[in-house]
Amino acid sequence: MASNKATLKSAAKATGSHTSTGGSGVKQGRLASAYALELNNVEAFYGNFRAVAGVSLRIAPKSVTAFIGPSGCGKSTLLRVLNRMHETLPGTSVKGEALLDGVDLYGPNVDPVRARRLVGMVFQKPNPFPTMSIFENVISGLRLAGVRSKSELEGVAETSLRKAALWDEVKDKLSEPGTSLSGGQQQRLCIARTIAVKPEIVLMDEPCSALDPVATLKVEELIRELAVDYTIVIVTHNMQQASRVSTTTAFFAMNEQRAGYLVEMDATSKIFTNPKEQLTSDYVAGRFG
Amino acid sequence: MRFTALAATILAIIPLIALIYFVTTRAIPWLDAALFVNNPLDNPSGISNAIFGSLQLTTAAILAVTPIGVLAAIYLNEYASPRVVSWSELVIDVMLGVPSIVVGMFAFMVIVPQLGVSAGSGVVAIGILMLPIVVRTTQEVLRLVPASVREASLALGVPVWKTVIFIVCRTAFSGILTAVILAYSRGLGETAPLLLTVRGTFAQNWLDFGTTMNAMPLTIYSYSGAADSRTIGQAWAAALLLMVMALILNIIVRARTVNSRVA
Repeated sequence: MASNKATLKSAAKATGSHTSTGGSGVKQGRLASAYALELNNVEAFYGNFRAVAGVSLRIAPKSVTAFIGPSGCGKSTLLRVLNRMHETLPGTSVKGEALLDGVDLYGPNVDPVRARRLVGMVFQKPNPFPTMSIFENVISGLRLAGVRSKSELEGVAETSLRKAALWDEVKDKLSEPGTSLSGGQQQRLCIARTIAVKPEIVLMDEPCSALDPVATLKVEELIRELAVDYTIVIVTHNMQQASRVSTTTAFFAMNEQRAGYLVEMDATSKIFTNPKEQLTSDYVAGRFG
Repeated sequence: MRFTALAATILAIIPLIALIYFVTTRAIPWLDAALFVNNPLDNPSGISNAIFGSLQLTTAAILAVTPIGVLAAIYLNEYASPRVVSWSELVIDVMLGVPSIVVGMFAFMVIVPQLGVSAGSGVVAIGILMLPIVVRTTQEVLRLVPASVREASLALGVPVWKTVIFIVCRTAFSGILTAVILAYSRGLGETAPLLLTVRGTFAQNWLDFGTTMNAMPLTIYSYSGAADSRTIGQAWAAALLLMVMALILNIIVRARTVNSRVA
């Protein structure tokens, strides 16, 4: 993990691409290190349509941050901006800066592939690789990154599956197809696959929306456990879920141009009991959305 | 209405049944060991050079065409802009519809002057006919790989090219293999391009693509008008062998399509 981080930093610095902060560089550096992620005026576009408007926020390391808000408020788009997945769709673009440990993920010399290594993602629908076994699924990221050592791969597979609370259920059938598992197990397999490449941040895009209540509870429990090692950002439609798993909540809404913007971000307990904005209290009380 | 439709169905099946009946009954008496191991001028005569000639021609063509066709399909499905894709698909569909005699004539006028009347010219001609099948079928199979699979790979920090080869193609591997078998089956029975490019020979030719070669469709063509019953019988035998090979390949394709997890 540390070496990955160093590479992203040094790659950006060596070529002078680090977002220039002028004389306040030292101060900026100290400030930035307090946050795992820092967004400054991030905007995301689909063609000419601005889906996310000027979002600035800071995410503390080893925390669970929930993005909530009505449909179409750009929270999933913003999530995809954080690991440079947004740009994989044709015609999309991003403005502003997204600092990971003080280094702009959108700096001109940052390789999106490396950015995605450091910022992993779990999707709405479980998406294990259909022709791969459970074991192959977990180690796929590492193997494709060139790791050959069998013992290392086996070690990582076990650690990742244990962390994803799936090891006991699958340890005797690692060679069976990943798609043979139940939906909830498949989602935990995808989580294991994501953490196997040792990211710093794990993004989750409504990870439980395709799961039944029991599987949902398991994944939520897992999210809280993962926050010990990882910084987690989760998009959810389910406010109970946000209040159960997150420490911080960011509430988004749509402006007149249908662009998503950040209404407010605060400790989850505060957002759900005593938010600053009327819009937030209307939303969490279920009065719109 | 119902009975008229039934009658039409029976009428449609009759030629097929008759074909299988005639080919099988006429071919069976001539299916002996000599047929498979001897050449036309040996005594007793056989069509070994045609059987193995067909396999060599088709295999050489599929080996040449598969990498080109699969890469083209990958380009069209993973990288090309929608404009390029729609134009390319038009061209490929036209290529799929070109009568094989036209491809044969093209090969005769353009390739034969370069490579001579030879197995090599035949491979080019069959390859031209196989290529659009491989591209189109592979493209269809790649299209079936869900976008979520590509996203999962990219989000793991896997570069696009590795995602394409090790994730997308791996997911579609079974279907790509099906595409190749389908093209092989089509190439095996092609006659017209071979008549104009390879012409046939009585000799056995092992892997010399600079000279002429024999093939089963050529044997059927030249033997079916013969005067003696043994020669005609061998034409029927070659026809049966071609039919059985095509049938086996098609059964494999069917089984694969039913079992495959993606296609």
